Amino acid sequence: MHDSDAAVSPVARIRRLRKTFTLHTIDGRTVHSLRGVDLDVAAGEHVAIAGPSGAGKSSLLRCVYRTYLPDSGSVLLQTESGPVELTTLPDRALARLRGREIGYVAQFLNAPPRTGPLAVVTAAALRRGLSAARAREAAETALRRLNVDAALWDVDCAVLSGGERQRINIAAGTVAPPRLLLLDEPVSALDPANRERAMELIANLTTQGVAVLSVFHDMAALRRLATRAVFLSEGRIVAEGPAEKIAEVAA
Amino acid sequence: MSVRELLAEADSAEESAGLLDEGAKREVRRAVLVAVCVPGYQVPFGSREMPVARGWGSGGLQITLGVIGPDDVLKVIDQGDDAGVNATNLRRLVTGTEHCVSTTDTREATVIQTRHRIPEEALGPDQILVYQVPVPEPLRGVEKSVVECARMHAQADYSAIWVSLYEDLVRNGVITHSTGYPVLVDGRYVMATSPVPRWDVPRLNQCDHLNLYGAGREKRIYAIPPHTDVRPLAFSDVPFEVEHVPGAVCGYCGSTDTFLVEAGEGYVCSDSDWCTRTSTGDVDGAAHRDRAPLAWLPDPAHRVPRGPVLVTEPEPERAAAAKPEPSELDWILRVDGLGKVYGRGGARAVEGTGPAAGTAISPSTGAVVAAWDVSFDVAPGEALGLIGESGSGKSTVLRCVIGDELATAGTVRMATLDAGDTDLLALDSTAWRRLRLDTMAVVYQDPAAGLDLRISAGGNIAERLTAAGWRDYRAIRRRAARLLDRVEVPLSRMDDPVGTFSGGMCQRVQIAKALATEPPVLLLDEPTSGLDASVAAGVLDLLRGLLAERNIAAVVVSHDFSVIETLSDRTLVMQTGRVVERGLTDQLFHDPHHPYTQRLVAAARR
Repeated sequence: MHDSDAAVSPVARIRRLRKTFTLHTIDGRTVHSLRGVDLDVAAGEHVAIAGPSGAGKSSLLRCVYRTYLPDSGSVLLQTESGPVELTTLPDRALARLRGREIGYVAQFLNAPPRTGPLAVVTAAALRRGLSAARAREAAETALRRLNVDAALWDVDCAVLSGGERQRINIAAGTVAPPRLLLLDEPVSALDPANRERAMELIANLTTQGVAVLSVFHDMAALRRLATRAVFLSEGRIVAEGPAEKIAEVAA
Repeated sequence: MSVRELLAEADSAEESAGLLDEGAKREVRRAVLVAVCVPGYQVPFGSREMPVARGWGSGGLQITLGVIGPDDVLKVIDQGDDAGVNATNLRRLVTGTEHCVSTTDTREATVIQTRHRIPEEALGPDQILVYQVPVPEPLRGVEKSVVECARMHAQADYSAIWVSLYEDLVRNGVITHSTGYPVLVDGRYVMATSPVPRWDVPRLNQCDHLNLYGAGREKRIYAIPPHTDVRPLAFSDVPFEVEHVPGAVCGYCGSTDTFLVEAGEGYVCSDSDWCTRTSTGDVDGAAHRDRAPLAWLPDPAHRVPRGPVLVTEPEPERAAAAKPEPSELDWILRVDGLGKVYGRGGARAVEGTGPAAGTAISPSTGAVVAAWDVSFDVAPGEALGLIGESGSGKSTVLRCVIGDELATAGTVRMATLDAGDTDLLALDSTAWRRLRLDTMAVVYQDPAAGLDLRISAGGNIAERLTAAGWRDYRAIRRRAARLLDRVEVPLSRMDDPVGTFSGGMCQRVQIAKALATEPPVLLLDEPTSGLDASVAAGVLDLLRGLLAERNIAAVVVSHDFSVIETLSDRTLVMQTGRVVERGLTDQLFHDPHHPYTQRLVAAARR
């Protein structure tokens, strides 16, 4: 893949990324997920991944975050102290780097049990390096911006609605914005009003210089938010270009 | 020869040999010399049968017989009384067999055998005071095991007896422990003062005479040589007190500054020699007053308040616990190649065991290879999980790391100890104890393993704090209250025995105790396994909060993926004694590679 702006090195540089799963509990069969993905995401760029279910969109995000351990290939993250290879980074260093530099908004909120929204978002802000007082303040601002009722801030996330949980998840991912943000269907469960708020928030991130890599099923959201898009099919990127063009391909 | 003549001959032979033959006396003197060299240390000796019932002075009698000679002058008192039946009999026995003279005048005596008192008269460098000791072990009241008592003395680990003082204060507001009060001799050994009243204890400090203690039944001799530091155990803010009844006067001699005991309506001196001579004016009253323990009279102003402590009371500044020295290392605890084999063969037994072989039992020696080649490290602020089914070896690893179990192979290192150069497994037990006190704490699955269930919640925490050198009762109370408050144990229950607590509460107390000295490493062995789901959730939340707010390095052992997922950042998966997979916890959960991990994860997703 080429880099349209060669002068700026991308925040994330993905090369020949492969991932297969071996299912020992069934019959040892192998499932191919990614078959060699190359992709760059620069600062201030929002790259959206489109494609049918099972194409490997979420797997790609998870391989970058290393919730999945890639079989081979490279994910190079540009940091303050230079480029870091994520696929081979020792676990402890990765855990620290993740908290500080990479935000991951999964499809479903994975909050610790019996924890309220404010605690979840504050913890994320702390990991990004804010002081205790500023983290709490930033968390409150983020929750308010996403219209999460203050009466719910200390209620166990597990009892909240799907839409509320998704907004908490976005708040945690975007509070004190990280260098690289991974979004997996971030607005799928939101009603129109809240969806609009969330999209506005995500759109603002790119102007702040955050590199965003996202997965959208909803082509309207993709068109509005992505500065560039790729089309993934059977673990390979088969098309890429402006959001508008890829949205057409996907449709 | 007639029977009468035979008996006469036998009598004279016995008389010339004395009660103890020369060999037995030498044995006693040898033990006495050792005892004098190691003040306060109980020296075993070959105790003989004596013609008195054991517990009636057979130990004191043997010392007296061992040290006395024909030129000595003997005095024997029982409860301060020269004329008691027991004192009279012992005096006759010794003077009759050792051909020495006896006296009731303390000033003339060179050897004084006593039960229950130190004479009121000043004793000098030429005098030996021999005590009849019923129970020589000061720790007997707090520890039943002889072996454990020996260990405590060897390691100067006296926290148990400090806790008994703490519990006494909590329950009664004053120390009720009366006769035989424990003292620290020469800054090293805790010693029982035989059953002398507390009144006499201050007289032992830097005294001019030699004190010899003999316990015939327990076969122990110990000593306080002249000019030795002897300090009664007392908290720095709760002064030691002697017995005293305000206004009590001896009904015979009118003394007010002697140890007085009740007699009928009034009081009398518990020293018949002193009382008699006071009546006739044959004493130096002023010098005695200087010697009397009047500085230790009970003072209600020094009493400690009873009842719960307010945690809002500010905790006074204490010297911060030894911070880990800044280190180049990015870990604080590191384990390399750890292995444990139960049975014969050691490392040779390992061949043919493990996940691939499907067994932990060595085909060659039959030994059980519980764990082999386990390596990991953990950093401050990080929690490492160790997961596997029952029998996979995870708890064995933990027990080897904390020294409960002797590892067969491998090294364990702490960055705080010699910058990580020293292998903990090579340390002696005293160094281990110190390490487990200030560096590495454990929370066991079974509260009984980490707590003394007979002791209060506060007392259990006090045990750790006193072991770490805390000697201020109020500071200990405050710290214990703070910790219990943090782990959400109601302070109204702080002074209840832990044995009356529920399982969840016990775990909370155990956690509070583990954190008492702020160790940088915390090891958790199935911390919630014995608890029902809702209680376990509470304990889990507590642990998560504590780990987040403190820069602790934690190792969590559990068979429960939800515990591991909640608490740990990275995880090792163990099967049949080996580590089969390791990685970030979320990665292991979402992308398990090893067949065993996949089965574990599938099982966790109910």
